[in-house]
Amino acid sequence: MLFFRSEDSLRTWCRQHGHSMGPIVTIDQLWRMATTWYATRLHADSRRPGPDEIRLIFAGLGLQGDFWDPGADSFS
Amino acid sequence: MHDEGWPSMDFDTKVKMAIYRHFADTGEGADAGSIASALGAKVDEVLEAYQRLQSQRVLVLDIDGVSIRMAPPFSGIPTQHIVESQGQRYHANCAWDALGVAAALGRPAIVHSHCEASGEALRLQIGPAGPEETDWIFHSLVPAAGWWDDIVFT
Repeated sequence: MLFFRSEDSLRTWCRQHGHSMGPIVTIDQLWRMATTWYATRLHADSRRPGPDEIRLIFAGLGLQGDFWDPGADSFS
Repeated sequence: MHDEGWPSMDFDTKVKMAIYRHFADTGEGADAGSIASALGAKVDEVLEAYQRLQSQRVLVLDIDGVSIRMAPPFSGIPTQHIVESQGQRYHANCAWDALGVAAALGRPAIVHSHCEASGEALRLQIGPAGPEETDWIFHSLVPAAGWWDDIVFT
């Protein structure tokens, strides 16, 4: 999971390394992902979201489709 | 490191809190011996808790089964994603976790990283309302269902 300066930079990097290009996420979206996962991480009762919660979180960010589906992974 | 204020927690939660508080205070992973001393426990008991915490995916151990590789979003080893906050430096496991360190600390921070394609440096200020406006982007090669198949690669 990496930072890129632009979509062109990402596309070039994927082509050079033979990777399929996945969805682009803005830094605003990433911040919401980060706060959802980690804002309570230093609290004793923090927990990871479950699959259904993850689908709702991503959908709320406009991140939908198979790429963002955690499957049955109960800890993702 | 101490466990005052944690009397009602179960042992695994005390170990988890000791690990995370140590990362937040120092930017580094604690060793099992220090955690055992702080909790008045045996090192073996702490290492057994490590295994249970790893199965819950709040901890990733190195291949030795003793060293802490990740306590997401914190990294136990140096990485290219560095977060500075209140004079303390932290290493994050990935771009997501770099912002995650700031979110976990709940205080202003600066994320230092770079564009994986060009090497251009990223310096991203994060304030109380979140990151400053930027057109940098984030990318994951691995779909969500596979993130924990190889979390180090992810």
